[in-house]
Parts: sequence; structure tokens; C-alpha cells
Amino acid sequence: MEIKISIKNLEAFYGKNRVLKSVSLDIPKNKVVAIIGPSGCGKSTFIRCLNRMHEVVGGSMTGSILLDGEDVTKVDPVLLRKRMGMVFQKPNPFPTMSIFNNVAAGLKLNGLRNNKKLQPIVEKCLKQAALWEEVKNNLDDAGMNLSGGQQQRLCIARALAVDPEVLLMDEPASALDPISTTKIEDLIFELKKNYTIVIVTHNMQQASRVSDYTAFFYVGDLIEYSETRKMFTSPDKQQTEDYIRGRFG
Amino acid sequence: MLEHFEEELENLKTNLIKMASLVDDQVNRVVTALETDNLELCKGVKAKDLEVDAYDNLVQTQCENILALFHPVAVDLRYIMSALMINNQLERCGDIAVNIGQRVKKAGSYKDLIFESQIVEMGRTAKEMLRNSIDSFIHSNSELARKVIDTDEVVDKFNKNIFKFLVSKMQTNPELIEPCAHLIVLIRHMERLADHATNIAEDLIFYTDARIITHQKKLANREKEGD
Repeated sequence: MEIKISIKNLEAFYGKNRVLKSVSLDIPKNKVVAIIGPSGCGKSTFIRCLNRMHEVVGGSMTGSILLDGEDVTKVDPVLLRKRMGMVFQKPNPFPTMSIFNNVAAGLKLNGLRNNKKLQPIVEKCLKQAALWEEVKNNLDDAGMNLSGGQQQRLCIARALAVDPEVLLMDEPASALDPISTTKIEDLIFELKKNYTIVIVTHNMQQASRVSDYTAFFYVGDLIEYSETRKMFTSPDKQQTEDYIRGRFG
Repeated sequence: MLEHFEEELENLKTNLIKMASLVDDQVNRVVTALETDNLELCKGVKAKDLEVDAYDNLVQTQCENILALFHPVAVDLRYIMSALMINNQLERCGDIAVNIGQRVKKAGSYKDLIFESQIVEMGRTAKEMLRNSIDSFIHSNSELARKVIDTDEVVDKFNKNIFKFLVSKMQTNPELIEPCAHLIVLIRHMERLADHATNIAEDLIFYTDARIITHQKKLANREKEGD
């Protein structure tokens, strides 16, 4: 199995406060890895470390993160975030932009401004995000006019536009209704054919439905990391079993 | 939510135990009837089977509800799965007790034949297996479950030897063909009873140890033959 991201002894801090403790794990290429654990366990910090967003919010980290064998701390953070796109809990389309421009924003920022050239890319990304059929006649409407579920898919299309290799999703469906959630989950299943996906979720069923591997974090420690099927049927650690059964957390 | 879930699990367990004790009583009655020639004991076994069938439906519905409403995982999921499987085994044991009762009524008076053939010993062993499998479930005792599984060979041996004995009796005493035929069917039922007890024990081990051991021997043999 080809490893996309290799994490060794990762420690993350906010000031002196250590929020991740010597985390090591390998994320396989074209697989979905779910990160689960109670609030405050370091899930979001973990994925923010992967594309160095953790630095943006004032944190620091030690240890190593290799993306295709390349140390992420040696990569220009802007380029790194292009390779590792991120989707957040709350859909955050650019408020003043149309649907089209929301998707095209990243490309325009990288110098591609010709609408004729942008058109097929925007269409492809909206199709990949399973939103095209719903918006193809209203591409000039404001992104903010879409429903919550549509906005989230728009954000996914926007992340895909810059052609990332990895998608980091921080509770992407937690603010959505069940139908929109199903659409996002179906989308994740489709996207993993071309992308490596790391998803933080509080929803155990979601983790078990969409992921190939699951990592359970507790108070900054990686307690268990294994195939999702094993994790949800016979986990190795009692702490994991208690958590997925709803016995604590 | 957790309390509610625990309550549902407890209700399910209670109903399974009630169902198991009904089946245990059915089997105990027919085996004792065979042992003592007290055919009165067979009365009511069929009526109890209706109660067992009602529990079968109830347990199935409870399991369905728990799966749909609580989405259990890990050991909780295995518990519901094993409850469903054990429920099915118990229902079959109830049917078998009815069938044994019918054969006891027809051949129970042939005491010498029954004594000589060791059918009572076979019945006692199968009954004990069922009781132990039920106990293993009630107390989540995988060690006891393993004993049940090991005992199945004893019942299989009884089955073979008694069958041979009854066939030879039919050959030498044609007037015994009819009771022997009933007893052959009866030992077949007892052998099935022991199989169901074994299945219950295997289901319990699936719950406690997260291991599927059903068909293990057969599959291992097939692999050997393949080699």
C-alpha cells in the first residue's frame, strides 16, 4: 500500500500547552482516514498540522510530516495548502462572489483569469462535488444564496479546483441535514478514487460509513489506529471500545 | 440515551432467558419421560412450544428495534447478533423437544430396548449440553461454552453406536422394526438437539471473544484435503 502522508512523533502546542503527544501514523494514498475522539482530544489540531494551518492559528509543532516523502515544513505553506485542500465544519463560500467565482477563486489567484479556460475547470469541479446539476443555470448567483448543504459542496468544489492531492475535512457534515450529509458522504466515497481524504468527525456512524481507516484520539494521544471495519467490530483497546460504544467522551 | 440502551439490552436478555428456560423445561420433560416411561410429562410440551414461538418473534423484534434505533457497535453489536442467532437455535430446540415427545409416546414402552441401546444416556448428555449452553449464555462463560462444544463428539458417538445397535435389532428381531424405527428418528432428534446446543455455545463465543468458530473443524479438514 502506497503511503501518502507519513507522520512521526508529531507534537503540537498552543504556547506551552501540548495538545498532541508523539503521534505517529501513516495515511495511505486514495483512502479515507477518519479521525475520531471526544472534544479537545486534538482531532482538528492534527489535521491542521498536516497542511500547517496550525501555525496560522498561533500554534507550533515538532516531529515530522512527510507528504510523498517530502518534509512539509520545507514546502512553501501556500503551495502545501494547494496540495492539501481543506473543508471546514461551517460552509464558508466567499460572501461577495458568485458560484462560478467561488470555484474559480483559487485558480484566479494563481494567475488563470481567462473565463473560457476557467469554464471547463469550474464545470468539472462542480460535477465532482455533485453540485453541477443543481447550479448549472445559476452560476452567476451568489454562493451565499445556496442552501447549507449546497454551500458545503461548493466549498468542496472550490478546494478541488486547485487540483489538490489530499482533502482535509473538519466535520464537513456536522452542520448539515441528513440528505445533505448523505450527499457529502457519497461524494467522499467518489472522491477517494482520486484523492486521499482525512476527515474529522464526531459522528461514529459517519466514520464507520465513509472511512477505510480510523484513528481514535484521546487527550492528545493516538490511542488506536486500524482498519475501520476492525475498529467498529473488535477494537484492540478498551478505551476505544468504551468510546465507540458511547461509554465516555 | 445510554441508560435507555442498557434497559433495552436488559429486556432482551430477560426475554431470551425466559425463552431458554421454557425450552430447557420442554427438553427436560421429554428426556425424563423417556427415562421414567412417565408419558404424562410429554403433555404440555407442544403448548409450551407456542410460548417459545411467541418469544422467538418478540426477541427478533427487540433485536430489530435495537439495531435500528441505537446502532450498536463492537461488543454490543456482537451481543445483538448472538442474541438473534441463539434465539433461532432455541426455537429449533423447542420444535425438536416436541418431536422427541411424539417419538417417546410411540416407543417409550419398549423399556428393555431403550435401556440396552443407551438412548437415555444420550438424551441426558444432549439435555446437559443444552442446559450448559444456556448457562454459558446467561453468565457469558466462554469456558463452559467450550465444554459444550467438546461434548458434541460424545453425542455423535452415541448416535453412531445406537444406530448400529437398533439396525442390528431390526435385522434379528423383525417384530421390533417399528419401535426401532421410532427410536432411530428419536436419536436423530437428540443429535440435532446437541448440534443446536453446540451452535449456541459457538454464538456465545462469538459474543465474548469476537471470534467466529462455527464450521471451523469442517473448513480446516477441507483445507487439509485441498493440500
